[in-house]
Amino acid sequence: MESVLREGEKQSLAAVSQTIASSLQGRGDLLYRSEAAGELAKPEPFDVHPLPLAGEPFLDGYADDWPQTPRASSDSSPYGYAHSSGRAEEQPLPPQAWTYVNNGQDRLGILTGVHERMLYVLLDVRDDKLVFDATASNPLNPQALGDRVWLGFEDADGVERQVFISATSPGVVRARRIETRELGQQVAVEEPRIEGAWQPTSRGYRVELRVPLSLLGNRFGVLVDDRDERGALPSSYGTLRPDDLNTRGRLIVASPDLAPYLHQFIQPGLRLTVTTPQGSTLASADGPAPPADLGEERGILARIYRRLLDQPGQSRRLETPAPIYDHDRQKIIGTLRVTQTIDRWLTLRDRALTTLLNFTLITSAIAVLTMFVFAAHLALRLSRLQRASESALTREGLVTTFPETRAPDELGNVARSFSTLLQRLNEYTGYLRTLAGKLAHEIRTPLTIVRSSLENIESEGGMPPQARVYLDRAREGSERLNAILVAMGAATRVEEAIQGAERTRFDLVRVIASAISSYRIGFPAREFAERLPTEPVEIDGAPDLVVQMLDKLVDNAVDFSPPGATITIGVRLEPGAAIVEVENPGPPLPLEAHGRLFESLWQSRKGGDDERPHFGLGLYIVKLIAEFHGGRAEASDLPDSSGARFSVWLERRES
Amino acid sequence: MKKLIAIVEDEPAIRDNYAAAFTREGYTVRTYGNRSAAMTAFAARLPDLAIIDISLEDEPEGGFELCRQLRALSAELPIIFLTARDSELDAVSGLRLGADDFLTKDLSLAHLSARVNALFRRVDALRRPNEENQVVQRGPLKLDSERMQVEWEGKVVLLSLTEFWIVHALAKHPGHVKNRQQLMDAANVVLDDNTITSHIKRIRRKFQAIDPKFDGVQTVYGMGYRWVE
Repeated sequence: MESVLREGEKQSLAAVSQTIASSLQGRGDLLYRSEAAGELAKPEPFDVHPLPLAGEPFLDGYADDWPQTPRASSDSSPYGYAHSSGRAEEQPLPPQAWTYVNNGQDRLGILTGVHERMLYVLLDVRDDKLVFDATASNPLNPQALGDRVWLGFEDADGVERQVFISATSPGVVRARRIETRELGQQVAVEEPRIEGAWQPTSRGYRVELRVPLSLLGNRFGVLVDDRDERGALPSSYGTLRPDDLNTRGRLIVASPDLAPYLHQFIQPGLRLTVTTPQGSTLASADGPAPPADLGEERGILARIYRRLLDQPGQSRRLETPAPIYDHDRQKIIGTLRVTQTIDRWLTLRDRALTTLLNFTLITSAIAVLTMFVFAAHLALRLSRLQRASESALTREGLVTTFPETRAPDELGNVARSFSTLLQRLNEYTGYLRTLAGKLAHEIRTPLTIVRSSLENIESEGGMPPQARVYLDRAREGSERLNAILVAMGAATRVEEAIQGAERTRFDLVRVIASAISSYRIGFPAREFAERLPTEPVEIDGAPDLVVQMLDKLVDNAVDFSPPGATITIGVRLEPGAAIVEVENPGPPLPLEAHGRLFESLWQSRKGGDDERPHFGLGLYIVKLIAEFHGGRAEASDLPDSSGARFSVWLERRES
Repeated sequence: MKKLIAIVEDEPAIRDNYAAAFTREGYTVRTYGNRSAAMTAFAARLPDLAIIDISLEDEPEGGFELCRQLRALSAELPIIFLTARDSELDAVSGLRLGADDFLTKDLSLAHLSARVNALFRRVDALRRPNEENQVVQRGPLKLDSERMQVEWEGKVVLLSLTEFWIVHALAKHPGHVKNRQQLMDAANVVLDDNTITSHIKRIRRKFQAIDPKFDGVQTVYGMGYRWVE
C-alpha cells in the first residue's frame, strides 16, 4: 500500500518536475545571470558556484549565519512565498559547499553565496602567522604589506578587474582597487561597494565579503597573498592566476528571475530546486506548510497505523530530478528537482491509510456482521427444518406440515423435496397400512370358493373314507387361513369402530373395578391386585373402549406371566390425566421392542401357550383407544426388572 | 312348491357352490351375474328370497342398488347381503336399505342355510295368524320368536335377523350376563368383539328411536351384556 502510494506520488511529482523542466527548456537566460549557459555543461575547476542564500549573512567573518536553506522563521504567515518562510528545518552548511584551493593542504576554503543581488564570499585561510598591514601606512607600500586577499573578476563589460582587501586589524574591511594616475603613480582607491570583515581564527583568519552582482561579469576568482612578515615575498594561492591576477574560473549565478519564476509553480509541501548540471544549487523555492488539517491528523488510529506500517531505515523523502535542456535539446543546462517534503508525504500516506483502513475496518465489520446474521438466520432455518424432519415421520406415518416450503432459495428446495418425499412416504405407509385389509379382502373371495366347495363335497357324501381325511385337513387349513384373514382385517375394523364410538362422561374407577372382578372369573390361574383411587374419577370417553383396552392389556399380562402370578391393575392421577397401569411379573421387555410394541402387526414377545394367530393387534388397539381418549400408551420394565408395566394416559378434564 | 332362491353374485365359482348347496337343501335356485340380468328376471317373477353380493361386476355398489329396486318391488321379500366386504359402514348401509341380514362370506354354508331357513320360517309365520305361545313378554318388550319380530311398547322394532337373535338371547333370561361368544352362538355367526359391540349399539339405537329412555341392554364391563327390566 505504502509503495503504491509512494509510486503514485512519485509519478505525479515526476510529472510536475517534467512540466516545469520543459517550461525552462532553452531558457538559459532565466537560469543563469550570464548568457553563456550552454557552455556551463563543461565544468571547470575554478568555477564559482555561489549558494542561494535564504537570508543575508552578517558581515562578521563567521560562517554560522550562512543559512543555505530557509531559516525557520518567526513569520506567522505560513503561506508567504518568501525565502525566509516555511517550516523546513534549518540545515547546517554542507561540507561540499566549500571549495578548497591549494591541493591537499586546504589552505584556502572558499564559500560563496548569493542573496538579493549580492555575492557573499567567505574565505577561510589557514595561516600560521597572521600578518596585518602596518597601520596608517600606504597600503601600496611594499614594506607595510601584510596578508592580503585579491578579488579578480570580469566586470559587466568583460574587462578584467582586481581589487584587494587588506586589514590593519580585525574588523571591518573595505576593498580597494589600484588605479594608475597620470604620472604612473599608483593609488589604492577604496571601492565602497565591496565591504567585508576580517576575523582571525585559531588556524588563520577569515574574510567575509559582500560584492554587488552588478559589479561582476561572468568570471570571478580570489587569490591570497600569504606573507610571513610584513614586506616579505608572498606565497600566493587561489583561483586567480598568480602572475597577472586574471580570472581562471567563471561565476555561475542564477538569474534573479529564476526564484520568482519557480515560485509560481510552488505547491504546499513541495520544494523546487534548480541546480547546475554539476549539482550546485542555483535557486530553490519552498511551498508553504501543508494546511493544518492535513498536517495535524494524529488520531490514535493514525498512530497505530503508522506504528504498524513504518519501516525503519526507509527513506521517506521523495525527490524527482528532471533535466533542463537547451533549445535544441543538445545539452543539459540544469536540473530541476521537485522534492516532496516529508510531512506532506507522511500526511498524505496517513490520510490515505487511515481512510483506507477505516473503510476496510468498517467494511469488514459490516461483512462479518452480515455474515453472522445470515449464518444465524440460516442456522435457525436449518434447525427448524431438522426438527421438522425429525418429527415429520411419526410412527404412524403421519406427516405434519413442513416448514420452509415456501422459501424461494435452496433451503426451500430442500424443504419442498422433503415435503414431497414425506408425502410419498406417507402415501406408501398408508398403502402398507391398508395392505393387510385389502389383501384380506382380495383373498376372501377365493377362500370362500375353497370353503364352499369343501362344504359341498362334504354334503354330497359318498366319498371313500381316505378322502375324508384329506377333506378334513383341507377344511382345517382353510379355517386357519380364514382366521388369519379375520385378524388381518381386524385393524381396519377396530379403527372404524373406535372412530365411530360415542363419548360419554363416566367413572373410570367403577368401570375398571367391574372389569377386574370379571377378570378374576375369566382368569382363575392369575391373581389380580387393584390399586384404585377411592374417589370416582370422571373422564370423557367410551367406557366400552376403555374396557376393551384393559382387556387387551390383561390378555397381554396373562400371556407373559407365569400361572399363579399376581397382575396389578391401578389408576393413578396426574394433573389433566388419569393413568391406567397394568403390571405383570415376567420377562422384561426386549430392547428392540421399545417404541414399537404399540405398532400394528408387531409381535416380538414370545410367550403364552395359545394357538390362535397372534398379530400384535392387541397393543395397537390399546394405543388407538388411548389416542381416542387424548392420551398415549407406554411400556416399561418394572424398576427391579421383575416384569413389565404398561401405562395408558387418558385425558381428564374438569367438567 | 319349491321355494325360489335368487343368488346374485359375480364370482361364478361361489355362485355355483351356493346354488349347489341350496339345490341340495331342496330349493330352486336361479343365479345371476349382474344387476341388469337379475332385475330383468325379477321383473318377470319375484324370487322367494334373494342373496345379493354388494359389488357386481363393474358396479362396486351394484348390490345396494339392486336391494333398493327389489325392496321397491316387494316389502316382504327376505333379502340377505352376502359379501366379502366386512366394513361397518357397508353393514349399516345394507341394513338401512331394508336387508334382513348382512353376512360376510366367511360364514359357513351350514350357517347360511340356517339363516335362510329361519327367514323362510319368519315369512311363513307372518302369513299365519298370530300364535301367542311363541311370544315372550318382558315388560314393554314383546318377543315373537316365530315371526322373529320384536315390539317395544307395542311398536315394531325392525331388527335384522342377527340383531333379533341377540335380543332374543338376552331377553330370554333377563339379568343373566351373556358374553360375546354366547351371543355369537345364538346368532349363528362368527363375529369379532367389535362387531358384537356394533350390533349391540345398533340394537340400542333402534330401541331408542322408539323410546329415548330405553336402557334394556346393559354392558357388564369385562364380561358381556345383560337384559334388565
